Amino acid sequence: MAKSSENYILDTSALISLESINILEQVLKVFSIATTNSVIKELEEFTKYDDKYGKLAKNILKLKTRFTIESCEIKESIKYIEATDNELYNLSLKKELPLVTDETKLVHHTRHKIEVYFSPVFLILLLKSGYLSKEKALELLEELRNIRNWRNNIIYLITKSQLEML
Amino acid sequence: METEQFNIRMPKDLVQDLNIISKLLKVNKSEWVKTKLAEEVHEEKNKLLMELSTLYANGMISKEKIEKLVGKGIADEMESIKIIAEKSAKHGLEYGKKLRKLHS
Repeated sequence: MAKSSENYILDTSALISLESINILEQVLKVFSIATTNSVIKELEEFTKYDDKYGKLAKNILKLKTRFTIESCEIKESIKYIEATDNELYNLSLKKELPLVTDETKLVHHTRHKIEVYFSPVFLILLLKSGYLSKEKALELLEELRNIRNWRNNIIYLITKSQLEML
Repeated sequence: METEQFNIRMPKDLVQDLNIISKLLKVNKSEWVKTKLAEEVHEEKNKLLMELSTLYANGMISKEKIEKLVGKGIADEMESIKIIAEKSAKHGLEYGKKLRKLHS
């Protein structure tokens, strides 16, 4: 199947979220995904620890030949966010592609400058495009909520109400 | 880190218990209390903000009211999260539908 022309830039948090509910591989089949070298370095750091995030990072890195990995010069800097996030922000500006992240601080400081989404966007995308059933999408959202300790946060509540309406 | 003095009077029994902990763990009493208090404050703050954001997501409290309760910074961030969560859902719906048509 041909990939969608739609591309997304993913940060570490989004990659971890998608891999934690086992849909990263499916996302890579359907969409073109880019990330930065700094994100890859962050994931490599995670692999040094023998915990949940270390294991997820190892699995993500096994798929890295299927992402576009780029370094991006920081031409415009946002002072409230870290260098890694500034690189993602600049890549999003340069390529005019949406950034997908679960970092609320990053979303808050970039939302007026770039297109930005939370990772559950892929649950709705995969459901609407026919790759996931509604029941499976809701089940995966519950799984993600538990893994991320989202409890009743805004991301969970809004995604759930949208999925239930479909 | 910038600090501020905060004095509290504690029951004698509690101070004695703290002394026992301090001796057994070989840690400074004040440092131990500071660490435990920081953990508790962090957890309680997150729990209360989560409850507040649930009310906000469900339209049961306004941004203005949140601003009065916890300040502009937190209220603005909650508003951003709500807007982007809604935008993410809208994008998923619209683009997902388009993709389905493309592949059918």
